[in-house]
Amino acid sequence: MQRIINALVQFRNPIIYLFLMGISLFFLSSRSSFHQNKLEKFSLYFSSSLYDFSNSIDQYFNLKEKNQLLIEENSRLKSIALKANAPFLYDSFMGKSKRFPFKIINVNIIKNSFLNQRNYILIDQGSEDGIQPETGVITSNGILGIVKSVTKNHASIISILHQDLKINVRFKNRTAFGSMVWKGLDPVEFRIDDIVSSSNIELGDTIVTGGMSSFFPFGIPFGTITELDKDSDSGYFIVTAKLFQNPAQTYNAYVIDNNFKEEIELLNKEERK
Amino acid sequence: MNPINLKSLALFVLIVLAQVLIFNQMNLFGFINPMIYLLFLILYRFDQNQTLFIFMGFLTGYMIDIMSQTGGAHAIASLSVSYLRPFIIRNTFGITAELPKSFNSDLRTLNKSIFLVSFVFVHHLIYFFVLYFSWDAILLILKGTFLTTLFSLILILILTSFSRPTK
Repeated sequence: MQRIINALVQFRNPIIYLFLMGISLFFLSSRSSFHQNKLEKFSLYFSSSLYDFSNSIDQYFNLKEKNQLLIEENSRLKSIALKANAPFLYDSFMGKSKRFPFKIINVNIIKNSFLNQRNYILIDQGSEDGIQPETGVITSNGILGIVKSVTKNHASIISILHQDLKINVRFKNRTAFGSMVWKGLDPVEFRIDDIVSSSNIELGDTIVTGGMSSFFPFGIPFGTITELDKDSDSGYFIVTAKLFQNPAQTYNAYVIDNNFKEEIELLNKEERK
Repeated sequence: MNPINLKSLALFVLIVLAQVLIFNQMNLFGFINPMIYLLFLILYRFDQNQTLFIFMGFLTGYMIDIMSQTGGAHAIASLSVSYLRPFIIRNTFGITAELPKSFNSDLRTLNKSIFLVSFVFVHHLIYFFVLYFSWDAILLILKGTFLTTLFSLILILILTSFSRPTK
């Protein structure tokens, strides 16, 4: 305290000068609107640059929070986009939950690989966050896999880079469909089987999910056809596809949970009997 | 109240009235109003309390402002110049030499005139800058500063020759 008073006494002249200067500026601005305007402009410039500076620091510290918000917003938009992609089966389904019966949860990938022939992915959310086994996982620009098993806080996913996983696919604006399997080397190169050679597909067609399973909704685009050969012996196409996004290099994903999964499984079971 | 303060007060009232009633009405060449109230700030003794002097500078300027409807331009200019006075004194009368007790007690004409010119010039520069308050008017500011400084200096020199040297 003594020091503060000493400093005040020592610098009393500049302090008084600044104080009186402030008073005179106040008088000046209250008397003349021209000066008031000028001073306001100056203070606006000064305060805005100050706030710009503090804001840039603030933003740096808020980045994590901002990211979280953006991811949430993304998942909301994703669900809207997927809903828009869903087929207009019946007009009366518009706006009903049946049109797009999926729930979207965004997750972070904590372990990913593409070096094995059968790859698995770990994510940082589990049953506590509403993730259930046997649900599809998509990314912002494609599909990633299917949830295999779930613990309280984590879940493991069968990556689409898994040679036993077959995914039902279609082509945008075509009627043909087939099933897609990883070739095993390049994480973006896939083979599509079971397309009869009479189908009208062409090089460069966009591949979308087929919607014939409870995992993925119809119409998520995720790759293009890069090679197309007719195998005259079997009567099937040999199709090589390339994904838009490398599944081994994604860090965020969305788990999509079909609300009617149980019903579909029940029907499937009955069929098998 | 000691005689110095009493004398200062009388001088203060006299100078403010003279400034407002006479010199602010001059309008030489249409725009020059010499500011002789600076005389008060110049004649104030150099060895007195600086803090009080800053207050007095502010008060002088503010009085002129109130009576001549100029907002705060005089107050800002004379406040700044009274805050800067010790620096001007040190730079014009020399750091090593013994500082004079007041403006009139010193006999070095050159130093006195440099002090006078820089003091009045700084005041006028600040005054006109605050008055126009825009970089676009820089030519007007400089014109007003130089011409008014000239006339203020002439009048201040005449008026200082009336006052007796203090011992």
